[in-house]
Formats: sequence, C-alpha cells, structure tokens
Amino acid sequence: MDIEPVIIENLSFRYRSRAEPAIQNINLRVSAGQLVLIAGASGCGKTTLARCINGLIPRSYKGEVQGRILLQGQDTAALSLARISQLVGTVLQDPERQILGTRVANEVAFGLENLGLPRQEILQRVEQALDYLGISHLRDRETFNLSGGEKQKIALAGVLAMQPRILLLDEPLASLDPASAQEALALARRLADEGMTILMIEHRVEDVLSIQPDRALFMNKGQIEYDGPAEGLEKHVDYRQVKLPARLIMKMASRQPPPPRLEVLPGGKAKPENAAAPLVKFEDASFWYEPERPALEGVTLEIQRGDIIAVLGPNGAGKTTLVKHAIGLLKPKRGRVLVEGRDTRDLSVAQIAHTLGYVFQSPSHMLFAPTVYDELAFGPTNLGQKPQEMEQATREAIQIVNLEGLEKYPPLAMSFGQQKRVSIAAVLAMRSRILAMDEPTAGQDYQNYISFMEAILQMPGFEAILFITHDVDLAVAYSNRVLLVNQGRLVCDGSPYEVLKDQERLTSNRLVPTSLLRANLDFYPRTGRFMKAEELAHAVL
Amino acid sequence: MLVTWRYRQRNSLVQSFDPRAWIIFFGCFLASTLFFWDLRYLSFFFVIALTAVFTSGVTWKESRRAWLFILTFVTFFSILTFLTGRGGMELYTTEHIITQVSAPFKIFGWQPTLWVTAERIMFSISMFARVFSIASMTILIPYSLNPSLYGVTFRRLGMPDKIAYGMDLTMRFIPTFGRDFSLTMDAQRARGYEIEKISGGLFAQVRKLAPLVVPVTIHAIVGSEDIIDAMDLRAFGVGPRTWIQQLTFRRRDIALIAFGVAMLLVSAALSLFTYRLWVPDFLLAMAGG
Repeated sequence: MDIEPVIIENLSFRYRSRAEPAIQNINLRVSAGQLVLIAGASGCGKTTLARCINGLIPRSYKGEVQGRILLQGQDTAALSLARISQLVGTVLQDPERQILGTRVANEVAFGLENLGLPRQEILQRVEQALDYLGISHLRDRETFNLSGGEKQKIALAGVLAMQPRILLLDEPLASLDPASAQEALALARRLADEGMTILMIEHRVEDVLSIQPDRALFMNKGQIEYDGPAEGLEKHVDYRQVKLPARLIMKMASRQPPPPRLEVLPGGKAKPENAAAPLVKFEDASFWYEPERPALEGVTLEIQRGDIIAVLGPNGAGKTTLVKHAIGLLKPKRGRVLVEGRDTRDLSVAQIAHTLGYVFQSPSHMLFAPTVYDELAFGPTNLGQKPQEMEQATREAIQIVNLEGLEKYPPLAMSFGQQKRVSIAAVLAMRSRILAMDEPTAGQDYQNYISFMEAILQMPGFEAILFITHDVDLAVAYSNRVLLVNQGRLVCDGSPYEVLKDQERLTSNRLVPTSLLRANLDFYPRTGRFMKAEELAHAVL
Repeated sequence: MLVTWRYRQRNSLVQSFDPRAWIIFFGCFLASTLFFWDLRYLSFFFVIALTAVFTSGVTWKESRRAWLFILTFVTFFSILTFLTGRGGMELYTTEHIITQVSAPFKIFGWQPTLWVTAERIMFSISMFARVFSIASMTILIPYSLNPSLYGVTFRRLGMPDKIAYGMDLTMRFIPTFGRDFSLTMDAQRARGYEIEKISGGLFAQVRKLAPLVVPVTIHAIVGSEDIIDAMDLRAFGVGPRTWIQQLTFRRRDIALIAFGVAMLLVSAALSLFTYRLWVPDFLLAMAGG
C-alpha cells in the first residue's frame, strides 16, 4: 500500500505569546488524491494547523510543539522549509500579499529560482504550470493589474510549479467574486481527481460541498470535533457556525423556535417633513479615468429613506466608483450627483459626510487613534460639531455598537470584529444619515457575519443603508433593493426578487445562484419576499 | 491612481543597452559631472544628458510633472545663488562687478543691493548645467529600465541574492503601498479629514498627519507578515538562487562601459587642474577688466 501523504499524530501547539494551546491533540491521516474540507469558526485553530503542516510552525512562528507530522512518510521536524515546500504547496488567503514578482512569469518561477534549479528546467515548469491552469496568455502581464481571480490562479501556478504532492489552500474563496470562486473550486476538484492531496480550509462550506469533498473536518476550540464524510457534517455542526446549504439549514432550523423578527432600519421609518425627497440622486452620471474606458456610464438612480441597498457585480464592475460618487470622493465628469438636493461638485467630502458615512472594507485602513473614544471623536471634530454634541454622539455610538467599557482601549489592539464595530461607530458618531459599507462581511466567519449584519440593520440612527458585496446571499437575506452593476453601467435596479430571478442575467454578470436564492425563488409565490433560511423555514415548512 | 508604472518598451537609445551597462555608465556620468564647475567641461555632460533625453522616447505628456519639478527646483536655486552670491565662495576669491542695482528704499538703514558680478553669473549658469544634467539622467531611469529586471541587474553587478531580490520586491510592492495609501486617504476624507487644511507649527502638522501615517504603517507591517510567510513557503534564501532573466553584454554595452570609465578617469585627471569656475573674457571685459 502507498504511504499516506499526510499523517498527523497527537499534534498540539501553543504560541509563545499565549497561555492556551491553539490546537490540541490533532490526529489525522489523509490518503493520496483526497480532497479534505477543514471548516470551523475564526480562532478554531484551522490556520495554526495549516502552519504546522507547511512548516511555518515552528520555523517562523515560535512556540511549544508536541506530536509529529509526516509528509510523504518524512517527519517534518527533520526537514528544512525548502524541502517541505516541495512536498506541500500553500496558497494563502490574500493573493495580493503572496505574489512577489512584478511579472507573472517571474512570480511563477520564484520558488524554483530559490531552489537553484537550472534555468531551462524552471522555464519549462513555468510554462507547464501556466498551461495547466489555462493562463498562458497572462505570462508577460504585470501581476499588480490582474483581477482577484487571476491573482489566485497565478499564486496557485507558483505553488504547482514546485510540483508538490499535497496542496494546502487557506480560505481560497475569501477575495473572489462568485464566478471566480466557482472556477477555483472546480480547479481544486480536478487537481484532486488527478491525484493531488488537497486540504482546503474554508468557512464557505456550502460552496465547497458543491465539489463533493471526499471528507470534511470540523474544528472547534483547537480540536477536531468531526472527521468523516461531508454528508455527515450537518449532524455534528451548528448551522449558525458554518454556512451550510439553505435547504439543510431550513431542515435544521425548522426544529428550532423561529428566529426573532428583526426591527429593521428603525431610523428609516421616521417621516421628517421632506420625507419624499431622495437622500441621494444620480442624474445620468458618468466618470472615466481614460475616456475610452468609462468607469461609470449614464447612471441614474435615487436613494430613498428606508432603502437597504445591496450593490452587486463582478470585480472591477464600478461598484466602488458608484459609491465614491455618492460620498463625493469622485465627482461625475458628465451628469450630476445630488446629495440632499445639492450638487456634489459644490460640496466638500466633509460636508457630504453629514449625510453619507462610508465604512471601508478593512478597518485597518482607517483606525489610528490611541483610544476608541478618540477614534470616534475624530469625525465629529472634523465636521465641526460642538464639544457637548460630539460627546453625546460618541457615547451613543459606543452604546449602539456594544463597546461600552472599552472607550479607553486602543482600537488597533482589538479583534477584527471589534475593529469593524469601531469603524461603524465612527460613522454613527458623525450622525450620518446613510451608512455605506464596502464588503461589510469580508474577513468574518459565518456566525460573526450574521450577528454583525443583524446588529447593523437594527441600529437606530440610519435612514438608509447601502453595501457593496460579492455575496449574493447577503443581498438575498438583508437587502430590500439590489443594484446590479457591470462595466460601469447600472444593469438592473429593483427588489431582490426582480433583479435576481433571472438566471441568464446572473450568469452574464458573473453571479452564481446560491441555494438560498433558489429556495427563496421556489417559495416566492408563498412568501412574497426574500428572507434568510431560518426565517424561510418557519414561513413555509 | 497614486502610483503607476512609468516604464514601457520605447526602442530608445537608453533601452538599447543592457541595464547593467547603463547603470555603470550612469554612475560614471554622475561622478564625472561632480568633478567640474567649468562650464566648458560641463557643456559636454549637458550635451550627453540632452542626447539621452531626446532619444529616450519619454513624452512630455507622461513626464511633465517630473520635468516641471526639476526645472522649478534648479531654476529657483540658480536664481537664489545669483541673487545672494552664496555657495560659490570656494570657487572664486575675487569678484568682478559688472553693475549694481540698489533698491530705492532702506530697511533699518540697510539698502538692499544686488551685485551683478561676472563670477556670480557664471556660477549660477554652471550650477544650472550641472544639476540639470544629473537630474535629467536620473529621471530617465524609472521610465527606461524594466522594473522586473532591477533584481537581476543588481545581482549581476555583484550584490548578494537577498539584497538584489529586495530591489524586485520593492518594485512589486510600491503600487500596493500606493493603493493602501489612497484607500486610507479616502477613508479619512470620508470622515471629514482635510489634509489641505492642516495648520500649526511643524510638530503640530506632523501630529495631524497621524490619521494617514498610522493606518498605512500598520497595514504595511501586518501585510509584511504574509509576505514573509509567502517567501518562506517558497524557499527564499535557502541557497544561491537562479535568476530566470538573462542579461547578456553585447559589444555596444562593453563600449558604453569603456566610454563611461574613460570619461570618469579623464574627468578625474582634468579636475586636478580645473576644479574652479570658468569666467569668459567678455564678461570680465564688461566688468572693466
């Protein structure tokens, strides 16, 4: 019998800086050609396990290791990182940070160059890897200008060129649009079918289940709680922790009490005097960096009080450009954008911030102050709020996002989820009427993503919410209006049902129907609106 | 976008040479120019610089900002030295006055007077020629040398693998860093931060840059952990590496290096005799002697 490519025996690891072990007593044997899904919430130890397998632990991350790992029958403790890198190839979560070459060919060759292989062999292997992934046409391109999906393939090509027998993919779908994610998954399946052993860490379980992984592991608190066939996962995991297919969630949720009904967007219901006037209005707005390639073309739309808008579309479609126009970071080169009836050309970004607050995808792009309180006071101070008013707004914002008691805490030392809440509070403190968010759930696991979205929707203070996302389910579960953007144009604007019912339209805009969308479409004649799976279960089952 | 690649293939004189040859020649040119203050010799370097610029294929449109910056900078300092007479004192001991212009007013009993001397005129012209030659040759580099060849160029010039690859890595991450900076700038502007309104003393101004500097720095540090992991995972630094890009010296490259080195040696030798300002006779005549 062949040796199993991955054997892990009694593995435990504690980071030097922490008191508790990150993983404990892991035992795992994986046979050749198996595609193994490793799921679990943030902090469950998935990434630590990956670092142990690829040798970064204990070489780059110091701490206390117990147990042993055998790759292709060789104990990794005795191997150099260079040797391990030829046995197991790792693709990290953010391809942007792991692509090291300025040009595609250099990037793919990087590992082979480091191993000091002869030049001819390197060139041959680079061609093979690019050819295998069907991306030879990218060979001479600059890596910086590639799309997210292309970057991921280049990163994978760089790893495959080193001809490992085992592939470790750490949340490979995190930064991809739905169509690119599907391509990446199909590719993983093909590699496994051809004999590669694949360990795929991912909390988008539903997506991975679509390629029939041979086996699934569920990790919790540093231990493996479930290890078995993917179909058995549902019996052992909480459907709130990882994202399962909608029909499965419905089945499980129907046995539970119905979820509490959300009091959505309470601020959007109040009717001030001029309630009918739109908060933001685009009138045939166009924008371009180069005239021949418009980034936004002839967009006309209104944002009204009570709108919860999901902006969907593929990478580079113009979603961010659209939102930047609403906040005045960009001004249209043709047409107009009006914020509360005033042309954004006559307003500074600071003035517009009274109406529209924008939370960027990564909180680390904006957090800088020594304390949470100072961070929240920054916006209101810039907007010239009076000290008393500012004090009150800041206190309220802290209360709304549940950060009481952490006012003096440095935001930069907080967890990702807390930082995300600080960034929302920073907008709340400015008393902006519309909350705009770029990929609000990026970097959060399923459970956090749900509680985060629901907390935001119930926050008082906002009259409308708008978010940019790749995640069709986020639009299905939480929006009441969808803007579909592609190639700078507003392709479709309507209720989630109107925009998402047409399969052809989804495909042509690189969106993939999810199980939640399908379930909602099936039951739409009975429900009359889209909802999340738990709610749907109680509405129809 | 804040950072864009300036390089493209242009079929220019600069690009017809191996990048190593051009870097060596550039070094020789730089050192040689610094040997002189004599405009007659500096003209030689000025002509070389102009030839490189006019054959570079770099258009005015794409390099306008850089040129305007250099021209403003060089002109400003040339005029300043002309007006004040500072900076040239080591090169001449006596001045020949051509004319003097006195202000029609006095400040606390002092009447501002501009002494137009033959030496000051020549000093500011020489300074212009010297700085302009160096600056224009330097500007051409990012437009002409392929960024993906920086690493191998410096490796073949004798730098160790790790340092040479650092060059490549810098080129790779400059646009990423630029994008992070723009994102932070936008994020803070959306919170009402207006960089153009920063005021106060130097220290206060630096403090007010914290909303930009802190996130960009923290992001770079956090990101660098992933970069280091990615390099470790692909065996960086385990031994001597192969570089897939190949550079080959041709005859013209050898000729360029030989010319550069010869220029440096001759300049060094000549400078023993001519490290001083040259003032043409007609200017001295205008000064009356």
